[in-house]
Amino acid sequence: MFRDVTFGQYYPTRSFMHSMDARVKILLNILYLVGIFFITSFAVYGFLTVLLVVMIACSRVPLKSILRSLRGILFLLLLTVILNIFLNTSGKLLWQWWIFSIYDQGLYSAAKLFLRLVYLVMGASLLTLTTTPVDLTHAIESLLKPLKLIRVPVHELALIMSLTLSFIPSLMEETDRIIRAQKARGANFDTGGLIKRAKAFVPILIPLLVSSFRRAEELANAMSSRCYGGPVKRTSMRVMRIGWRDVVATLVMLIFWGGVITLYAMSGTLSPMVPWLYF
Amino acid sequence: MENIISLDNVSYYYKVYDESGKRTFHAGVKNVTLDIQKGSFVALVGHNGCGKSTLAKLLNGLLIPQQGKGKVLVNGLDTADDKNLFEVRKTVGMVFQNPDNQMVASIVEEDVAFGPENLGIPQKEIVERVTKSLQKVGMLEYAKRTPTRLSGGQKQRIAIAGALAIQPQVLVLDESTAMLDPMGRKEVLNVAHQLNKEGMTVVLITHFMEEVLDADVVVVMNNGEIVAKGTPMQIFDNADVVDKVGLRLPRTVELAARLHAQGFDVDRHCTDARLLGEKICQLLQKN
Repeated sequence: MFRDVTFGQYYPTRSFMHSMDARVKILLNILYLVGIFFITSFAVYGFLTVLLVVMIACSRVPLKSILRSLRGILFLLLLTVILNIFLNTSGKLLWQWWIFSIYDQGLYSAAKLFLRLVYLVMGASLLTLTTTPVDLTHAIESLLKPLKLIRVPVHELALIMSLTLSFIPSLMEETDRIIRAQKARGANFDTGGLIKRAKAFVPILIPLLVSSFRRAEELANAMSSRCYGGPVKRTSMRVMRIGWRDVVATLVMLIFWGGVITLYAMSGTLSPMVPWLYF
Repeated sequence: MENIISLDNVSYYYKVYDESGKRTFHAGVKNVTLDIQKGSFVALVGHNGCGKSTLAKLLNGLLIPQQGKGKVLVNGLDTADDKNLFEVRKTVGMVFQNPDNQMVASIVEEDVAFGPENLGIPQKEIVERVTKSLQKVGMLEYAKRTPTRLSGGQKQRIAIAGALAIQPQVLVLDESTAMLDPMGRKEVLNVAHQLNKEGMTVVLITHFMEEVLDADVVVVMNNGEIVAKGTPMQIFDNADVVDKVGLRLPRTVELAARLHAQGFDVDRHCTDARLLGEKICQLLQKN
Protein backbone atom coordinates (compact mmCIF):
# COMPACT_ATOMS: atom_id res chain seq x y z
CA MET A 1 0.00 0.00 0.00
CA PHE A 2 2.71 2.46 0.96
CA ARG A 3 5.61 0.78 -0.82
CA ASP A 4 5.98 3.36 -3.52
CA VAL A 5 5.78 6.46 -1.41
CA THR A 6 9.01 8.36 -1.72
CA PHE A 7 9.58 11.00 0.82
CA GLY A 8 10.12 14.57 -0.22
CA GLN A 9 10.38 15.58 -3.81
CA TYR A 10 14.12 15.53 -4.35
CA TYR A 11 15.00 15.12 -8.01
CA PRO A 12 18.34 13.29 -8.19
CA THR A 13 20.67 14.59 -10.86
CA ARG A 14 23.85 16.63 -11.12
CA SER A 15 23.53 20.30 -11.80
CA PHE A 16 24.76 23.75 -10.92
CA MET A 17 22.02 24.10 -8.36
CA HIS A 18 22.39 20.60 -6.92
CA SER A 19 26.04 21.33 -6.13
CA MET A 20 25.31 24.56 -4.33
CA ASP A 21 25.63 24.81 -0.56
CA ALA A 22 22.24 24.08 1.01
CA ARG A 23 22.60 27.01 3.40
CA VAL A 24 23.10 29.45 0.54
CA LYS A 25 20.15 27.92 -1.26
CA ILE A 26 17.92 28.40 1.78
CA LEU A 27 18.97 32.01 2.23
CA LEU A 28 18.57 32.84 -1.47
CA ASN A 29 15.20 31.11 -1.40
CA ILE A 30 14.09 33.37 1.43
CA LEU A 31 15.34 36.38 -0.53
CA TYR A 32 13.33 35.19 -3.53
CA LEU A 33 10.18 34.65 -1.47
CA VAL A 34 10.40 38.08 0.12
CA GLY A 35 11.50 39.82 -3.06
CA ILE A 36 8.59 38.60 -5.11
CA PHE A 37 6.27 40.74 -2.98
CA PHE A 38 8.04 43.86 -4.18
CA ILE A 39 7.13 43.21 -7.79
CA THR A 40 4.18 45.30 -8.87
CA SER A 41 4.34 45.48 -12.65
CA PHE A 42 4.07 43.15 -15.61
CA ALA A 43 7.40 44.37 -16.93
CA VAL A 44 9.25 43.18 -13.84
CA TYR A 45 7.34 39.90 -13.91
CA GLY A 46 8.79 39.58 -17.38
CA PHE A 47 12.30 39.93 -15.95
CA LEU A 48 11.43 37.43 -13.24
CA THR A 49 10.32 34.99 -15.92
CA VAL A 50 13.76 35.25 -17.47
CA LEU A 51 15.37 34.68 -14.08
CA LEU A 52 13.15 31.70 -13.37
CA VAL A 53 13.94 30.16 -16.75
CA VAL A 54 17.66 30.55 -16.01
CA MET A 55 17.17 29.05 -12.52
CA ILE A 56 15.29 26.06 -13.89
CA ALA A 57 17.95 25.57 -16.55
CA CYS A 58 20.60 25.62 -13.81
CA SER A 59 18.71 23.00 -11.80
CA ARG A 60 18.20 20.61 -14.74
CA VAL A 61 14.92 19.57 -13.18
CA PRO A 62 12.27 18.86 -15.85
CA LEU A 63 9.54 21.49 -15.99
CA LYS A 64 6.97 18.79 -15.38
CA SER A 65 8.32 18.05 -11.90
CA ILE A 66 8.30 21.74 -11.06
CA LEU A 67 4.77 22.28 -12.30
CA ARG A 68 3.67 19.29 -10.25
CA SER A 69 4.30 21.34 -7.12
CA LEU A 70 1.56 23.71 -8.30
CA ARG A 71 -1.07 21.04 -7.86
CA GLY A 72 -1.21 21.69 -4.15
CA ILE A 73 -2.21 25.33 -4.59
CA LEU A 74 -4.53 24.86 -7.56
CA PHE A 75 -7.66 25.54 -5.53
CA LEU A 76 -6.16 28.55 -3.79
CA LEU A 77 -5.01 29.86 -7.15
CA LEU A 78 -8.46 29.58 -8.74
CA LEU A 79 -10.17 31.13 -5.76
CA THR A 80 -7.88 34.17 -5.61
CA VAL A 81 -8.08 34.76 -9.32
CA ILE A 82 -11.89 34.58 -9.38
CA LEU A 83 -12.28 36.78 -6.31
CA ASN A 84 -9.91 39.34 -7.75
CA ILE A 85 -11.66 39.46 -11.09
CA PHE A 86 -15.12 40.00 -9.65
CA LEU A 87 -14.46 41.98 -6.50
CA ASN A 88 -12.11 44.64 -7.82
CA THR A 89 -14.27 47.54 -8.98
CA SER A 90 -11.74 50.15 -10.10
CA GLY A 91 -10.89 51.20 -13.61
CA LYS A 92 -12.93 50.70 -16.76
CA LEU A 93 -16.03 48.50 -16.76
CA LEU A 94 -15.56 45.77 -19.35
CA TRP A 95 -18.45 43.38 -18.86
CA GLN A 96 -21.52 43.09 -16.69
CA TRP A 97 -24.22 40.51 -16.04
CA TRP A 98 -26.66 40.46 -13.11
CA ILE A 99 -24.50 41.12 -10.02
CA PHE A 100 -21.24 40.19 -11.76
CA SER A 101 -19.07 42.83 -13.32
CA ILE A 102 -15.50 42.84 -14.56
CA TYR A 103 -13.25 45.88 -14.56
CA ASP A 104 -9.88 46.13 -16.29
CA GLN A 105 -8.00 46.76 -13.02
CA GLY A 106 -9.56 43.59 -11.68
CA LEU A 107 -8.18 41.61 -14.60
CA TYR A 108 -4.73 43.11 -14.14
CA SER A 109 -4.57 42.47 -10.41
CA ALA A 110 -5.86 38.93 -10.88
CA ALA A 111 -3.18 38.26 -13.49
CA LYS A 112 -0.47 39.69 -11.24
CA LEU A 113 -1.62 37.65 -8.26
CA PHE A 114 -1.69 34.56 -10.43
CA LEU A 115 1.88 35.18 -11.56
CA ARG A 116 3.00 35.96 -8.03
CA LEU A 117 1.62 32.74 -6.58
CA VAL A 118 2.80 30.54 -9.44
CA TYR A 119 6.32 31.98 -9.46
CA LEU A 120 6.45 31.86 -5.67
CA VAL A 121 5.73 28.15 -5.57
CA MET A 122 7.89 27.32 -8.58
CA GLY A 123 10.89 29.14 -7.13
CA ALA A 124 10.41 27.67 -3.69
CA SER A 125 10.02 24.14 -5.01
CA LEU A 126 13.43 24.38 -6.67
CA LEU A 127 14.98 24.32 -3.19
CA THR A 128 13.42 21.00 -2.20
CA LEU A 129 13.83 19.58 -5.69
CA THR A 130 17.58 20.14 -5.70
CA THR A 131 18.41 19.53 -2.02
CA THR A 132 18.19 16.19 -0.20
CA PRO A 133 16.25 16.19 3.08
CA VAL A 134 19.50 15.27 4.85
CA ASP A 135 21.29 18.30 3.43
CA LEU A 136 18.35 20.49 4.35
CA THR A 137 18.52 19.31 7.96
CA HIS A 138 22.24 19.98 8.14
CA ALA A 139 21.78 23.41 6.61
CA ILE A 140 18.97 24.33 8.98
CA GLU A 141 21.09 23.21 11.92
CA SER A 142 23.97 25.31 10.71
CA LEU A 143 21.83 28.38 10.03
CA LEU A 144 20.11 28.20 13.41
CA LYS A 145 23.37 27.86 15.32
CA PRO A 146 23.19 31.43 16.68
CA LEU A 147 20.03 30.41 18.56
CA LYS A 148 22.22 28.23 20.77
CA LEU A 149 23.16 31.44 22.55
CA ILE A 150 19.63 31.72 23.87
CA ARG A 151 19.71 28.03 24.80
CA VAL A 152 17.62 26.67 21.95
CA PRO A 153 18.70 23.01 21.58
CA VAL A 154 19.45 23.42 17.88
CA HIS A 155 21.44 20.23 17.46
CA GLU A 156 18.84 18.12 19.22
CA LEU A 157 16.08 19.58 17.07
CA ALA A 158 18.05 18.86 13.92
CA LEU A 159 18.72 15.31 15.12
CA ILE A 160 15.02 14.79 15.77
CA MET A 161 14.33 15.99 12.25
CA SER A 162 16.84 13.70 10.63
CA LEU A 163 15.77 10.72 12.75
CA THR A 164 12.20 11.35 11.70
CA LEU A 165 13.29 11.37 8.09
CA SER A 166 15.24 8.16 8.39
CA PHE A 167 12.43 6.34 10.21
CA ILE A 168 9.71 7.19 7.73
CA PRO A 169 10.48 4.25 5.42
CA SER A 170 10.53 1.69 8.25
CA LEU A 171 7.32 3.05 9.73
CA MET A 172 5.67 2.93 6.31
CA GLU A 173 6.72 -0.67 5.96
CA GLU A 174 5.47 -1.44 9.44
CA THR A 175 2.09 0.16 8.72
CA ASP A 176 1.84 -1.84 5.54
CA ARG A 177 2.58 -5.03 7.45
CA ILE A 178 0.04 -4.29 10.18
CA ILE A 179 -2.65 -3.50 7.61
CA ARG A 180 -2.04 -6.78 5.87
CA ALA A 181 -1.98 -8.65 9.16
CA GLN A 182 -5.29 -7.11 10.21
CA LYS A 183 -6.81 -7.81 6.80
CA ALA A 184 -5.76 -11.42 7.17
CA ARG A 185 -7.71 -11.43 10.42
CA GLY A 186 -10.77 -10.18 8.58
CA ALA A 187 -10.51 -6.44 9.17
CA ASN A 188 -12.36 -4.29 6.68
CA PHE A 189 -11.06 -0.87 5.75
CA ASP A 190 -12.93 -0.15 2.56
CA THR A 191 -16.63 -0.18 3.35
CA GLY A 192 -18.98 1.71 5.63
CA GLY A 193 -19.41 5.37 6.38
CA LEU A 194 -16.74 7.82 7.35
CA ILE A 195 -16.96 7.08 11.07
CA LYS A 196 -16.90 3.35 10.55
CA ARG A 197 -13.86 3.65 8.34
CA ALA A 198 -12.10 5.91 10.80
CA LYS A 199 -12.82 3.38 13.54
CA ALA A 200 -11.38 0.64 11.39
CA PHE A 201 -8.02 2.36 11.63
CA VAL A 202 -7.79 1.99 15.40
CA PRO A 203 -6.48 -1.60 15.14
CA ILE A 204 -3.72 -0.25 12.90
CA LEU A 205 -2.79 2.76 14.95
CA ILE A 206 -2.46 0.98 18.30
CA PRO A 207 0.02 -1.68 17.18
CA LEU A 208 1.89 1.01 15.27
CA LEU A 209 2.11 3.17 18.37
CA VAL A 210 3.29 0.27 20.51
CA SER A 211 5.94 -0.75 18.03
CA SER A 212 7.11 2.85 17.66
CA PHE A 213 7.78 2.94 21.39
CA ARG A 214 9.73 -0.28 21.16
CA ARG A 215 11.72 1.11 18.25
CA ALA A 216 12.40 4.32 20.14
CA GLU A 217 13.73 2.36 23.10
CA GLU A 218 16.01 0.27 20.91
CA LEU A 219 17.20 3.34 19.05
CA ALA A 220 17.96 5.08 22.34
CA ASN A 221 20.02 2.08 23.43
CA ALA A 222 21.87 2.00 20.12
CA MET A 223 22.61 5.71 20.36
CA SER A 224 23.84 5.48 23.94
CA SER A 225 26.03 2.54 22.97
CA ARG A 226 27.63 4.76 20.39
CA CYS A 227 28.54 7.33 23.02
CA TYR A 228 25.77 9.83 22.33
CA GLY A 229 25.37 12.48 24.99
CA GLY A 230 28.92 12.22 26.24
CA PRO A 231 30.84 15.01 27.89
CA VAL A 232 32.75 16.12 24.79
CA LYS A 233 31.60 18.55 22.14
CA ARG A 234 30.24 16.80 19.06
CA THR A 235 31.97 17.24 15.75
CA SER A 236 30.60 16.61 12.30
CA MET A 237 31.84 14.56 9.39
CA ARG A 238 30.11 16.72 6.85
CA VAL A 239 31.86 19.91 5.84
CA MET A 240 29.80 22.56 4.17
CA ARG A 241 31.83 24.68 1.83
CA ILE A 242 30.86 27.78 -0.06
CA GLY A 243 31.99 27.32 -3.66
CA TRP A 244 32.18 29.54 -6.73
CA ARG A 245 28.66 28.52 -7.69
CA ASP A 246 27.33 29.93 -4.44
CA VAL A 247 29.13 33.20 -5.00
CA VAL A 248 27.87 33.52 -8.57
CA ALA A 249 24.30 32.64 -7.62
CA THR A 250 24.34 35.04 -4.68
CA LEU A 251 25.65 37.90 -6.86
CA VAL A 252 23.02 37.30 -9.55
CA MET A 253 20.23 37.12 -7.00
CA LEU A 254 21.46 40.20 -5.11
CA ILE A 255 21.66 42.26 -8.30
CA PHE A 256 18.23 41.14 -9.48
CA TRP A 257 16.39 41.63 -6.20
CA GLY A 258 18.38 44.79 -5.49
CA GLY A 259 17.04 46.14 -8.76
CA VAL A 260 13.50 45.06 -7.98
CA ILE A 261 13.51 46.70 -4.58
CA THR A 262 15.11 49.89 -5.97
CA LEU A 263 12.34 50.10 -8.57
CA TYR A 264 9.78 49.62 -5.82
CA ALA A 265 11.32 52.21 -3.53
CA MET A 266 11.78 54.83 -6.24
CA SER A 267 8.42 54.35 -7.91
CA GLY A 268 7.46 57.95 -7.13
CA THR A 269 10.27 59.50 -9.19
CA LEU A 270 10.73 56.78 -11.79
CA SER A 271 7.17 55.95 -12.81
CA PRO A 272 6.53 59.20 -14.77
CA MET A 273 9.86 58.73 -16.60
CA VAL A 274 9.56 55.07 -17.59
CA PRO A 275 5.86 54.28 -17.28
CA TRP A 276 6.13 50.88 -19.03
CA LEU A 277 8.26 49.59 -16.15
CA TYR A 278 5.36 50.23 -13.80
CA PHE A 279 2.52 48.87 -15.90
CA MET B 1 45.61 -13.81 29.49
CA GLU B 2 44.31 -10.50 30.61
CA ASN B 3 40.61 -10.05 31.34
CA ILE B 4 38.98 -7.19 29.47
CA ILE B 5 35.57 -7.55 31.08
CA SER B 6 34.86 -9.20 34.38
CA LEU B 7 31.54 -9.67 36.07
CA ASP B 8 31.66 -10.42 39.75
CA ASN B 9 28.54 -12.04 41.14
CA VAL B 10 26.26 -9.72 39.17
CA SER B 11 22.48 -9.68 39.46
CA TYR B 12 20.01 -7.43 37.73
CA TYR B 13 16.35 -7.17 38.66
CA TYR B 14 13.56 -5.76 36.53
CA LYS B 15 10.59 -4.13 38.15
CA VAL B 16 7.40 -5.89 37.15
CA TYR B 17 3.95 -4.50 37.85
CA ASP B 18 1.01 -6.90 37.94
CA GLU B 19 -2.53 -5.89 37.09
CA SER B 20 -3.30 -4.59 40.55
CA GLY B 21 -0.26 -2.35 40.31
CA LYS B 22 1.74 -4.36 42.81
CA ARG B 23 5.45 -4.22 42.22
CA THR B 24 7.53 -7.34 42.15
CA PHE B 25 11.06 -7.96 41.01
CA HIS B 26 12.00 -10.28 38.24
CA ALA B 27 15.60 -11.39 37.97
CA GLY B 28 17.00 -10.73 34.51
CA VAL B 29 20.41 -11.95 35.52
CA LYS B 30 21.26 -13.81 38.73
CA ASN B 31 24.64 -14.18 40.42
CA VAL B 32 26.67 -14.22 37.24
CA THR B 33 30.42 -14.38 37.51
CA LEU B 34 32.20 -14.30 34.19
CA ASP B 35 35.56 -13.20 32.87
CA ILE B 36 36.05 -12.32 29.23
CA GLN B 37 39.62 -12.57 28.08
CA LYS B 38 41.19 -10.10 25.74
CA GLY B 39 41.13 -11.29 22.14
CA SER B 40 38.81 -14.21 22.79
CA PHE B 41 35.61 -15.14 20.98
CA VAL B 42 32.90 -15.77 23.52
CA ALA B 43 29.51 -17.14 22.54
CA LEU B 44 26.61 -16.64 24.91
CA VAL B 45 23.70 -18.97 24.22
CA GLY B 46 20.31 -19.56 25.72
CA HIS B 47 16.73 -19.52 24.58
CA ASN B 48 14.48 -16.47 24.67
CA GLY B 49 14.15 -14.81 28.03
CA CYS B 50 17.15 -16.50 29.60
CA GLY B 51 18.79 -13.18 30.40
CA LYS B 52 21.43 -13.06 27.73
CA SER B 53 20.34 -9.68 26.39
CA THR B 54 20.22 -8.32 29.93
CA LEU B 55 23.76 -9.57 30.36
CA ALA B 56 24.78 -7.85 27.11
CA LYS B 57 23.37 -4.54 28.28
CA LEU B 58 25.31 -4.90 31.52
CA LEU B 59 28.55 -5.17 29.57
CA ASN B 60 28.55 -1.56 28.34
CA GLY B 61 26.68 0.15 31.12
CA LEU B 62 23.28 0.39 29.43
CA LEU B 63 22.13 -1.43 32.54
CA ILE B 64 23.92 -1.19 35.83
CA PRO B 65 23.64 -3.83 38.54
CA GLN B 66 21.55 -2.61 41.44
CA GLN B 67 23.39 -1.45 44.54
CA GLY B 68 25.19 -4.29 46.20
CA LYS B 69 24.36 -6.76 43.44
CA GLY B 70 27.82 -7.18 42.06
CA LYS B 71 30.17 -5.27 39.84
CA VAL B 72 30.95 -5.11 36.16
CA LEU B 73 34.49 -4.07 35.38
CA VAL B 74 35.55 -3.07 31.86
CA ASN B 75 39.31 -2.65 31.64
CA GLY B 76 39.19 -2.29 35.39
CA LEU B 77 36.61 0.52 35.25
CA ASP B 78 33.40 0.07 37.21
CA THR B 79 30.38 0.62 34.94
CA ALA B 80 28.39 1.83 37.95
CA ASP B 81 30.50 4.96 38.12
CA ASP B 82 29.05 7.73 35.93
CA LYS B 83 32.51 9.08 35.25
CA ASN B 84 33.51 5.83 33.56
CA LEU B 85 30.45 5.40 31.39
CA PHE B 86 31.82 7.19 28.34
CA GLU B 87 35.12 5.30 28.54
CA VAL B 88 33.29 2.00 28.98
CA ARG B 89 31.18 2.58 25.89
CA LYS B 90 34.25 3.54 23.92
CA THR B 91 35.74 0.20 24.88
CA VAL B 92 32.69 -1.98 24.31
CA GLY B 93 30.90 -1.54 21.00
CA MET B 94 27.47 -3.05 20.68
CA VAL B 95 25.29 -4.17 17.79
CA PHE B 96 21.64 -5.02 18.37
CA GLN B 97 19.05 -7.29 16.88
CA ASN B 98 16.96 -5.15 14.58
CA PRO B 99 19.13 -3.39 11.99
CA ASP B 100 16.39 -0.85 11.20
CA ASN B 101 16.20 0.36 14.77
CA GLN B 102 19.84 1.30 15.13
CA MET B 103 20.30 3.42 12.03
CA VAL B 104 20.64 7.02 13.07
CA ALA B 105 21.01 8.64 9.67
CA SER B 106 19.52 8.01 6.28
CA ILE B 107 22.88 7.78 4.53
CA VAL B 108 25.26 4.90 5.26
CA GLU B 109 28.42 6.91 5.85
CA GLU B 110 26.65 9.40 8.08
CA ASP B 111 25.30 6.60 10.18
CA VAL B 112 28.78 5.14 10.62
CA ALA B 113 30.09 8.60 11.47
CA PHE B 114 27.61 9.01 14.32
CA GLY B 115 29.89 7.37 16.94
CA PRO B 116 33.08 9.30 16.15
CA GLU B 117 31.06 12.52 15.91
CA ASN B 118 29.87 11.92 19.46
CA LEU B 119 33.47 11.42 20.54
CA GLY B 120 34.42 14.82 19.14
CA ILE B 121 36.95 13.41 16.69
CA PRO B 122 38.26 15.96 14.14
CA GLN B 123 36.51 15.87 10.76
CA LYS B 124 39.42 14.43 8.76
CA GLU B 125 39.89 11.53 11.14
CA ILE B 126 36.16 10.78 11.09
CA VAL B 127 36.32 10.35 7.33
CA GLU B 128 39.31 8.01 7.74
CA ARG B 129 37.57 5.98 10.42
CA VAL B 130 34.36 5.71 8.41
CA THR B 131 36.24 4.53 5.32
CA LYS B 132 38.26 2.03 7.32
CA SER B 133 35.25 0.66 9.20
CA LEU B 134 33.18 0.26 6.06
CA GLN B 135 36.13 -1.42 4.38
CA LYS B 136 36.44 -3.93 7.21
CA VAL B 137 32.85 -5.06 6.80
CA GLY B 138 33.04 -4.91 3.01
CA MET B 139 30.45 -2.18 2.58
CA LEU B 140 32.59 0.69 1.33
CA GLU B 141 30.90 0.87 -2.06
CA TYR B 142 27.60 1.58 -0.32
CA ALA B 143 28.90 4.60 1.61
CA LYS B 144 26.68 7.16 -0.11
CA ARG B 145 23.56 5.00 -0.35
CA THR B 146 20.48 4.95 1.84
CA PRO B 147 20.25 1.84 4.02
CA THR B 148 16.55 1.23 3.34
CA ARG B 149 17.11 -0.72 0.14
CA LEU B 150 19.87 -2.94 1.52
CA SER B 151 19.47 -6.52 2.75
CA GLY B 152 19.35 -7.36 6.45
CA GLY B 153 22.88 -8.75 6.39
CA GLN B 154 24.19 -5.63 4.73
CA LYS B 155 22.39 -3.36 7.19
CA GLN B 156 23.78 -5.35 10.08
CA ARG B 157 27.29 -5.06 8.65
CA ILE B 158 26.78 -1.29 8.50
CA ALA B 159 25.72 -1.39 12.14
CA ILE B 160 28.95 -3.27 12.91
CA ALA B 161 30.90 -0.61 10.99
CA GLY B 162 29.13 1.99 13.13
CA ALA B 163 30.40 0.24 16.26
CA LEU B 164 33.90 -0.20 14.79
CA ALA B 165 34.21 3.50 14.03
CA ILE B 166 34.39 4.09 17.78
CA GLN B 167 37.45 1.78 17.75
CA PRO B 168 36.32 -0.45 20.59
CA GLN B 169 38.29 -3.33 22.05
CA VAL B 170 35.23 -5.51 22.51
CA LEU B 171 32.41 -6.03 20.05
CA VAL B 172 29.15 -7.34 21.50
CA LEU B 173 26.69 -8.76 18.98
CA ASP B 174 23.40 -8.92 20.85
CA GLU B 175 21.38 -11.39 18.77
CA SER B 176 22.52 -9.51 15.72
CA THR B 177 21.90 -12.54 13.53
CA ALA B 178 18.45 -13.42 14.87
CA MET B 179 16.46 -11.50 12.27
CA LEU B 180 18.62 -12.40 9.29
CA ASP B 181 18.30 -15.03 6.59
CA PRO B 182 21.01 -17.74 6.43
CA MET B 183 23.03 -15.72 3.94
CA GLY B 184 22.94 -12.59 6.07
CA ARG B 185 23.80 -14.61 9.15
CA LYS B 186 26.83 -16.00 7.42
CA GLU B 187 27.95 -12.54 6.30
CA VAL B 188 27.74 -11.17 9.82
CA LEU B 189 29.49 -14.18 11.37
CA ASN B 190 32.30 -14.01 8.84
CA VAL B 191 32.86 -10.37 9.69
CA ALA B 192 32.84 -11.19 13.41
CA HIS B 193 35.41 -13.95 13.00
CA GLN B 194 37.59 -11.82 10.75
CA LEU B 195 37.58 -9.04 13.35
CA ASN B 196 38.42 -11.55 16.06
CA LYS B 197 41.43 -12.73 14.04
CA GLU B 198 42.59 -9.11 13.91
CA GLY B 199 42.59 -8.99 17.69
CA MET B 200 39.08 -7.83 18.57
CA THR B 201 37.39 -9.47 21.52
CA VAL B 202 33.99 -10.65 20.33
CA VAL B 203 30.97 -11.53 22.45
CA LEU B 204 28.38 -13.24 20.29
CA ILE B 205 24.93 -13.63 21.76
CA THR B 206 22.68 -16.05 19.93
CA HIS B 207 20.26 -18.91 20.17
CA PHE B 208 21.61 -20.71 17.12
CA MET B 209 23.99 -23.41 18.29
CA GLU B 210 25.52 -23.61 14.79
CA GLU B 211 27.01 -20.19 15.38
CA VAL B 212 29.01 -21.18 18.45
CA LEU B 213 31.08 -23.86 16.69
CA ASP B 214 34.11 -21.63 16.16
CA ALA B 215 33.96 -19.79 19.47
CA ASP B 216 36.73 -20.09 22.06
CA VAL B 217 34.35 -20.18 24.98
CA VAL B 218 30.65 -21.00 25.06
CA VAL B 219 28.52 -19.81 27.95
CA VAL B 220 25.09 -21.37 28.33
CA MET B 221 22.48 -19.39 30.21
CA ASN B 222 19.12 -20.33 31.63
CA ASN B 223 16.77 -18.33 33.87
CA GLY B 224 19.36 -15.62 34.30
CA GLU B 225 22.07 -17.97 35.47
CA ILE B 226 25.11 -19.49 33.82
CA VAL B 227 24.51 -23.23 33.68
CA ALA B 228 27.52 -24.31 31.68
CA LYS B 229 30.74 -22.86 30.37
CA GLY B 230 33.50 -24.35 28.25
CA THR B 231 34.81 -24.94 24.77
CA PRO B 232 32.18 -25.78 22.16
CA MET B 233 33.13 -29.47 22.36
CA GLN B 234 32.86 -29.57 26.14
CA ILE B 235 29.40 -28.08 25.85
CA PHE B 236 28.35 -30.46 23.07
CA ASP B 237 29.49 -33.43 25.16
CA ASN B 238 27.22 -32.21 27.88
CA ALA B 239 24.10 -32.79 25.78
CA ASP B 240 21.86 -33.08 28.87
CA VAL B 241 22.46 -29.47 29.85
CA VAL B 242 21.92 -28.22 26.33
CA ASP B 243 18.71 -30.19 26.10
CA LYS B 244 17.48 -29.01 29.47
CA VAL B 245 17.74 -25.33 28.60
CA GLY B 246 15.75 -25.88 25.44
CA LEU B 247 18.55 -25.63 22.89
CA ARG B 248 19.54 -28.07 20.20
CA LEU B 249 23.01 -29.17 19.23
CA PRO B 250 24.11 -28.32 15.71
CA ARG B 251 22.67 -31.03 13.49
CA THR B 252 26.03 -32.35 12.36
CA VAL B 253 27.30 -32.62 15.91
CA GLU B 254 24.10 -34.28 17.09
CA LEU B 255 24.20 -36.87 14.33
CA ALA B 256 27.89 -37.60 14.89
CA ALA B 257 27.39 -37.96 18.62
CA ARG B 258 24.46 -40.31 18.20
CA LEU B 259 26.26 -42.49 15.69
CA HIS B 260 29.24 -42.62 18.02
CA ALA B 261 26.98 -43.57 20.92
CA GLN B 262 25.61 -46.44 18.83
CA GLY B 263 29.14 -47.77 18.50
CA PHE B 264 29.96 -46.60 14.99
CA ASP B 265 33.45 -45.49 14.22
CA VAL B 266 32.67 -41.79 13.87
CA ASP B 267 34.47 -38.82 15.36
CA ARG B 268 31.87 -37.63 17.81
CA HIS B 269 33.14 -34.09 17.61
CA CYS B 270 32.73 -33.87 13.87
CA THR B 271 31.42 -30.43 12.93
CA ASP B 272 31.91 -30.58 9.19
CA ALA B 273 28.79 -31.88 7.46
CA ARG B 274 30.72 -32.91 4.35
CA LEU B 275 33.31 -34.86 6.35
CA LEU B 276 30.60 -36.62 8.32
CA GLY B 277 28.75 -37.46 5.12
CA GLU B 278 31.83 -39.04 3.59
CA LYS B 279 32.44 -41.01 6.76
CA ILE B 280 28.88 -42.32 6.76
CA CYS B 281 29.18 -43.33 3.11
CA GLN B 282 32.36 -45.24 3.90
CA LEU B 283 30.64 -47.02 6.78
CA LEU B 284 27.66 -47.90 4.60
CA GLN B 285 29.94 -49.39 1.94
CA LYS B 286 31.80 -51.43 4.52
CA ASN B 287 28.62 -52.98 5.87
